[in-house]
Amino acid sequence: MSENTISILEGNTFVVSDRRGNIDASTSEPTGLFSWDTRFLSRWVLALDGKQLAILSTDELDSYFSAQFFLAPGTGTTYVDADLSVIRKRSVGNGFHEDLTIANHKEQPVDFQVRLDVAADFADLFEVKDALPKKGTYFHHIEDRLLILGYRREGYVRETWISTTAQAAIDEHGFTFSVHIEPHKEWHACLEVDVEISNMHILHNAVRYQHSALRVRPDMQLGLAKWHQDAPEITSGWPWLGRIYQRSLVDLAALRFHSYLVPGGALPAAGLPWFMTIFGRDSLLTGLQALPFYPEILETTLRQLALQQGTRYDDFRDEEPGKILHEVRFGEMTAFEERPHSPYYGAADSTPLFLVCLDEYERWTGNENLVRELEMEARTALTWIDTSGDLNGDGYVEYDRRNKETGLENQCWKDSWNSILFADGSLARRPLAVCEIQGYVYDAKVRCARLARTFWGDPELARRLEKEAAELKRHFNQDFWVEQREFFALALDGDGRQVDSLTSNIGHLLWSGIVEKEKAEACKRHLMSDQLFSGWGIRTMAEGEGGYNPLGYHIGTVWPHDNSIIALGLRRYGYDEEAARIALAMLEAARFFEGRLPEAFAGYARNLTGFPVEYPTACSPQAWATGTPLLLIRTMLGLEPVGDRLTAHPVVPKTLGYLQMSGIPGRWGHTDIFGKGRVVVPESVDHLERLMI
Amino acid sequence: MSQQVQEFFTALATRRYEPLLHSVSGTVRWNIEGEGYWNVVINKGAITVNRDAMLPDSVMSCSEDTFLALARGVQNPLTAFLQGKLAIQGNIGLAHVFQRVFENQPGKSTHMASSRRES
Repeated sequence: MSENTISILEGNTFVVSDRRGNIDASTSEPTGLFSWDTRFLSRWVLALDGKQLAILSTDELDSYFSAQFFLAPGTGTTYVDADLSVIRKRSVGNGFHEDLTIANHKEQPVDFQVRLDVAADFADLFEVKDALPKKGTYFHHIEDRLLILGYRREGYVRETWISTTAQAAIDEHGFTFSVHIEPHKEWHACLEVDVEISNMHILHNAVRYQHSALRVRPDMQLGLAKWHQDAPEITSGWPWLGRIYQRSLVDLAALRFHSYLVPGGALPAAGLPWFMTIFGRDSLLTGLQALPFYPEILETTLRQLALQQGTRYDDFRDEEPGKILHEVRFGEMTAFEERPHSPYYGAADSTPLFLVCLDEYERWTGNENLVRELEMEARTALTWIDTSGDLNGDGYVEYDRRNKETGLENQCWKDSWNSILFADGSLARRPLAVCEIQGYVYDAKVRCARLARTFWGDPELARRLEKEAAELKRHFNQDFWVEQREFFALALDGDGRQVDSLTSNIGHLLWSGIVEKEKAEACKRHLMSDQLFSGWGIRTMAEGEGGYNPLGYHIGTVWPHDNSIIALGLRRYGYDEEAARIALAMLEAARFFEGRLPEAFAGYARNLTGFPVEYPTACSPQAWATGTPLLLIRTMLGLEPVGDRLTAHPVVPKTLGYLQMSGIPGRWGHTDIFGKGRVVVPESVDHLERLMI
Repeated sequence: MSQQVQEFFTALATRRYEPLLHSVSGTVRWNIEGEGYWNVVINKGAITVNRDAMLPDSVMSCSEDTFLALARGVQNPLTAFLQGKLAIQGNIGLAHVFQRVFENQPGKSTHMASSRRES
């Protein structure tokens, strides 16, 4: 998000405004009040006597769900009339609540008009993203202190209810308040905005706002105080880490999505502003990153995804029995089946990742009940891998799309249309067997063999899975290995040709364990080479490949979550110092984003730009970028559950001094791990700063 | 009284157990316009149906046409809900999960139309 906007959010409801608190959305700007993937307010502009207000300051408070705007009349460029001040305090819940206070600092009474312009375009987020026109009609009602803005298309009705506590003249475009304030007194009004979906009788009572002496705040179901209390404590000799960690905790809390399938549970939405919804892949990987901190996130994610596992063949939704979903949406285009997200199943990796996460969850928590409860879903997912997942019966999971019009072109994490390229820059054609998915499948089979033997009482299945995993590993190491350049191909295309670009995907292969030992060294060498490692992180595609673009979404940018998985993979193969180097590079990059890693940043070399350049339309906060510092902490400490114990092999960058994690939850109860900083990272900012002194 | 609606619930009652609902418990009331209501009691996959006065966890209301389209699997419950064809009071999650007791859509291939490369 732009630094000129302020975002507050709660679950899938969020408000994005400018720094004055105003919303003035153009078709392409994602400002507004959004809920259920729909923009319920596209205009919310405050003026005094027809004049816009100037910013004195903005305060995002100590939370993700409220903000304060301190304003005064005047343009802010030449002078500010200090005789009046305006304070807007806003909290998001089901819609939002705004307290408007105007103070008169003069010795004389004042009279003026306050105007609040409002409008609602009810755009589907997809329409905002793609700037598409509306198909229904707008309407409005005015009642005492209440303005209702509405939109109707057949039975699809969405309304925004805007009410005020102060007397106002109301028209369809807003509220006019005639204000009189005595000397040194204040005028006050509450504005409440509710989103209303006519056939869903759960609204208007979902979130209650409570006025306290200090501020109005929604009564959140999952309190931020308890959230912080439950988190393990992180201390280090590097002040930035504490700040980055706190930012991650608050953002992860903000991205929690109250599950409507698992009562009382919350799971991470993928990211603000475009992805405030459940994504199979993103929610699973974020849950995995957060496992040593908040294991319940992964549990809720697994339960919800199990309940929405595919049960039928549905071309429009790319659904197949056993498949784990990709994305769920609730906007108008989903409603009228102009988009397939109800839910959409176009992901070939979410199913094996579901299995990997199920096993990893049990290894950390010892909660074997979940493994037993989800046995049927896990078995169905394994069947999907071997049947619908393997389109041509070659033993690899490949994807095409059933939905030829609105289905995703690429169904791996690099899901933009131009992400899978040959080394000469030409586009690979489906069906595509992308390398990291084969790694996930290998890992899923190895892990499910353990589950089958230990919990499902099925040693026969365990033996079969182990045999299949070993065969997959052998074939994969032959078929995907690009002999001349010594790395694994990004994919095999429909003709079995190697898609031969050098990409970050080989790091995921290390994480999965599918790489034969003698090939790991070459993978590590490539990952840490100047072609892939920018100094801030590993690029999605290596510099020098035909398709490389440092600003290409999946063909040259650096993705923090990608790096967190690669670092874990490097440790799996014993490349501990390289993992520490990546961890530190990421954490140092986070310094330039006030502790909050964005979804992606540009692939420019560190010695070229001196700072990481944010990718223009990146989501922030983005769930798996938020989870990245958490997984990096686990990786630097080398945390692995073994039996009922947590083992640790800390390899910590010297820059951090030391790293201590206290109160790590798991099957061992709670435990503390300490690691001393010893890895010297040459390009470290602090290292350079010390040299300059 | 619609023969088809009654037939659906009679068939559902004889099914007794739906493995896909093994982790689901709750009472769903289907309120069909002009037909009255049926309560479907799900207890970890075990299914019973009654028309008694009881307090359900979730009430779903729709027209007979919409219901029959849902039951045949040709109408997706989530889009029916988002379009306003299906009203839900209470637990929305049960509505989604209930899709699993409806029929699979007919006429959809188990194999992808073209699993070889597109030209």
